[in-house]
Amino acid sequence: MAGPVMDAACITYEGISLEQDIFPRTKEPVWILGKEYITDKGEDNVNILRDIRSRLWCTYRKNFPAIGGTGPTADNGWGCMLRCGQMIFAEALICRHLGRHWQWDPDTTHPTYMQILQNFLDKKDSLYSIHQIAQMGVSEGKPVGSWFGPNTIAQVLKKLTSFDDWSSLCVHIAMDNTVIINDIKTLCKRELPTKTYGEATYNSRTSTGSERQRGKTGLDSKDGAAATKHRKLQAWRPLLLFIPLRLGLSEMNSVYNEPFKACFTFRHSVGVIGGKPNHAFYFIGFYGNNLLYLDPHTTQQAVNPERMSHIPDESYHCVYPSRMNISDLDPSIALGFFCSTEEEFDDLCTQINEHILSGHRRPMFELANDRPPHWPSLEIPPRPGDELNCSQQSDFTELNYESDEAKEFDTDGEYEIL
Amino acid sequence: MGDDAKSSKPFKQRKSFVSRRDEVAGIRAKFPSKIPVIVERYHKEKDLPLLDKTKFLVPQELTMSQFVTIIRNRMSLSSTSVLPYCQQQKFSKHVMTMAEVYKEEKDEDGFLYMVYASQEMFGS
Repeated sequence: MAGPVMDAACITYEGISLEQDIFPRTKEPVWILGKEYITDKGEDNVNILRDIRSRLWCTYRKNFPAIGGTGPTADNGWGCMLRCGQMIFAEALICRHLGRHWQWDPDTTHPTYMQILQNFLDKKDSLYSIHQIAQMGVSEGKPVGSWFGPNTIAQVLKKLTSFDDWSSLCVHIAMDNTVIINDIKTLCKRELPTKTYGEATYNSRTSTGSERQRGKTGLDSKDGAAATKHRKLQAWRPLLLFIPLRLGLSEMNSVYNEPFKACFTFRHSVGVIGGKPNHAFYFIGFYGNNLLYLDPHTTQQAVNPERMSHIPDESYHCVYPSRMNISDLDPSIALGFFCSTEEEFDDLCTQINEHILSGHRRPMFELANDRPPHWPSLEIPPRPGDELNCSQQSDFTELNYESDEAKEFDTDGEYEIL
Repeated sequence: MGDDAKSSKPFKQRKSFVSRRDEVAGIRAKFPSKIPVIVERYHKEKDLPLLDKTKFLVPQELTMSQFVTIIRNRMSLSSTSVLPYCQQQKFSKHVMTMAEVYKEEKDEDGFLYMVYASQEMFGS
């Protein structure tokens, strides 16, 4: 393989001037999914573009097999949030199976990478295909072809992941702007019968080279024999955490600008799904007040490879990102974080406390150790094949301060007295 | 009764300032320990249902979080549905009581106003 500089030169067709266009040489650092790059000397520009094109780029596609046999054969005009969901999920799978530092090159036939990519091909038997997502959306009240919100796609991905024994992810979606630490620990440590993690590639997310990361480094570097790793993985299923938020009614409330950007500085970040009003984007980083994103709004031909070991994948990688001002962000978003170990999750909580909660009277979201007693009880998702036991799924708790006695005072019927 | 909530105009536009202020004075005299709250749906909201009441008298010691849970239950939202957005959620709702929120955020007319909404959809 050619050296990194050569590679990047081949891929960035427009050459150096374009790079400078994308990243003006400012003293402000560029953050991409938890990695910091310095552009004012120009050295890091190539590394940034290499990093960005290593992400999976999912776009509108046409001429794929009809969804559900008779449904749409293209998703332009409705599928952009579904595509953004694929991108953030693919990033989680890359972190899970290859590690954040893995880099794509156009000639790669890395079997693990090919297996990840295969999950997103536009056909019904790919685990996270547009077909699977659109059809699972029906159970969320979204007929095939509907627009999704960030929370909708997160809910659908959570359901689909229960069929993915290879990745064995624990997908958790925070409710009511609140991350409950002990709920997540319970879910990630839940024992799964019969499945082993023999194939798992352990993620070493250590800091190397010019990359600097916030958070403890070297936590999981070379810290023991394979047996130790195996035991660790048994005790903690890798976590993909979604935090759906609404940061304003019709537009982004600017008090959240700084904490929002801080999310991309955490090494656990797998990006944010959101967009401009009506248009969904996958956000991967920022510099200054510019957000960097991958845009699904390009309609490409569906890829139908003959051999899954050699998927033609140029159209799944974006050479350079789009950017927009943070003030144009639609307030409906979902943050994504990936933690391959419990230590990483603890570290994420520390980062959140330090950079999102402390000193903010109006925190973007909240972190609590335990579930508030008035919340519905924690739902433990059933394994596929398990009998769905509806009687155990109590979604609601009784609120004892809503007694009938109080309602007697509600004489004119206009007020609800709690 | 239910007509109030179904009406498209927000509460503030349906009644004059003076009549709203007098209403608060009356209800506060009758229920001195309760906070008068107006809860309305964001005018662009399509997914979440309308509540059958817009006016609530809320115990002051209730936390914001508890109140949001009550609103959620009124709409029969399951835990996986989109969270209702409330304008007042910018406070740390697990610790703030309704009395504290009221003190800081009440309107000139004496009501505490809250708006709920789910997330926007994207597609084009």
